[in-house]
Amino acid sequence: MNVFKNIYNYRELLKNNVKKEIRGKYKNSVLGVVWTFLNPLLQLLVYALIFPLILRSTQPYYVIFVCVGLIPWTFFTTSVSQSSWTVISNGNIVKKVYFPREILPISVVTSAMVNFLISTLLIIAFCFIYGLGLTKYVIFFPLVLIIQYIFQLGISFMLSSFTVYFRDLEHFVQIILQVMFYATPIVYSGDTIAQPFRTVLNLNPMTHIINGYRAIFYNQTMPNLANLGVVFILSVVICVVGYFIFRKLQKGFAEEL
Amino acid sequence: MDKNIAIEVKDLYKNFTVYYDKANTIKERLIRLGKGKKEEREVLKNINLTIKKGEVVGLIGVNGSGKSTLLKLMTKIIYPTKGKVETQGKLTSLLELGAGFHQDFSGRENIYFNASIFGLTRKEIDARLQQIIDFSELGEFIDNPVRTYSSGMYMRLAFSVAINVDAEILLIDEILSVGDQHFQEKCFKKIEELKEEGKTIVFVTHTLGSVKRFCTRAVWLHNGVIKKDGQVKEVIEEYVKETQ
Repeated sequence: MNVFKNIYNYRELLKNNVKKEIRGKYKNSVLGVVWTFLNPLLQLLVYALIFPLILRSTQPYYVIFVCVGLIPWTFFTTSVSQSSWTVISNGNIVKKVYFPREILPISVVTSAMVNFLISTLLIIAFCFIYGLGLTKYVIFFPLVLIIQYIFQLGISFMLSSFTVYFRDLEHFVQIILQVMFYATPIVYSGDTIAQPFRTVLNLNPMTHIINGYRAIFYNQTMPNLANLGVVFILSVVICVVGYFIFRKLQKGFAEEL
Repeated sequence: MDKNIAIEVKDLYKNFTVYYDKANTIKERLIRLGKGKKEEREVLKNINLTIKKGEVVGLIGVNGSGKSTLLKLMTKIIYPTKGKVETQGKLTSLLELGAGFHQDFSGRENIYFNASIFGLTRKEIDARLQQIIDFSELGEFIDNPVRTYSSGMYMRLAFSVAINVDAEILLIDEILSVGDQHFQEKCFKKIEELKEEGKTIVFVTHTLGSVKRFCTRAVWLHNGVIKKDGQVKEVIEEYVKETQ
C-alpha cells in the first residue's frame, strides 16, 4: 500500500507531467489542441475511403465502425510507443532528483487517456450524425476504459524500464505495433475472419477491448462481459508483474542513462 | 532506527561498471563477445556513517574520492552494491540546480514544476510561491520564459525553489557558488537559518571556509573510504596537511 501513498504524495508532479505531455504534444503547431480531433478524423477519412470504396466493404455505417476501433487503438499505440522512451527522455531529472520513477509511465498512460477521452467525443458525434444516438449500454464505457488503462499501464511499466537497458526495443515495438494493427479487428470485423486466424485474434487482449467499445457504440448491445472479465484479470496480472519488474529495474536507471 | 538519527549508512559498498566503448547493439555485442572491455570500479568501500538530526556535516576530499556518489546514494538516485542507506524524514537534494527546468515555461511555471518534483502539493507550493519569488529576486522577470534568463538568474531561481521546500534533511553538492557575492551571502544566511531550525544538512564542498563556517562535523573521504570523521577543525587540519 506504500506504493499508492508514495504516488499520492507526488500527485502534483503527476498532474504537471500529464499537463506537460498534453500541452507539449501540439506545442508550436498552429492548430494546437484541434489536432486531437483532426488527427483521428483525417485517419478516419483515409479508411472510410479505402475500405467501402476500393475494397467494397459492406459493413454498414463504416465510419462509426472504424472510428470505434481506431480511436482506442490510437490510445494503445500512443501509450505503448511513448512509454518506451519516457525514462530516457526524462534522463536529466532521473539522474539528478529523487522522485518515484513510477510517475513517468503512469503519466504517459494517463495523458494518452485524456487524449482518448477527448477523441471519444468524435465517436459520440458520429453516432448522432448517423442517427444511431447513444443507448443505456454507455454505462459500460468506463468499465472497458479501466480495463484498457490497467492493461496498458502494465505494458508501460515493462517497456519503459526495459528500454533503458536495451534501447533497440523501441524499434521492435514499432514493428510489433504494426503487426498488431492487423491482428486486431480495427478496420475489419472479427466475425468475417476464418479459422485458424480467428483464434489468434481472440488471443489478443486488444480484440476484446475494441469489441467492447464496438458493442457499446456501434452494435449498441451488451458487451461480452465474460471475455472482458478474462482480459481484466490478465491486465491486473500484467500490471502487477510489470510493476515489480519496474521496481527492480529502476534502481539502475541513473547509472544506465 | 533511532528517532534521533537522520541518515544511517551501514557497511556500504558501491561499485560502478565502467565500460570502455560500451556495446549498445546486438551486433556490437556479438562481435565483441568475450572481449568487451569493462571494469568494476569500487567507488565506495565499507562506509559506516551515522548522522544525527540537526547535524551539519561537511563532506570533503579530493576529486574522485566518492563524495558525490555517497550523496547520490543518500538521495536514492542510485542504490548500493552492498550494505544499506536509511534516511528518516523528508529529504531534498540539490545535486544540480535547475535539473528539470523547462526552457519554454515561465519562471513561475517552473517553480510549480520543480517544486512538484520535490514532492510538494499544489497547496504547499501556493503557500511558498511568494517566498520563493522574493528570495530569487527575479521580480517581474518571473513571468518570462526561463530560456531568456541569464545563468545567474537561472541559478537563483533554482536555488530558491530547492531551499524553500521545507525538507528535514538537505543534501547539497558543491553549488553554494551561486550568483554574485550578494546572493551567495543570502544563501549562506538561509543555510544558517535552516541550521538554527534544526535541519540536518550534508554538503559536499571544496571550499574549506564554508565547512568551517557551518559544519558541526566534517567527514573526509579518500579513495572511497572514510579517512577521518570528527571535529571540523581537526579533520580540516589533517586534510590540509595531507593534500599540500
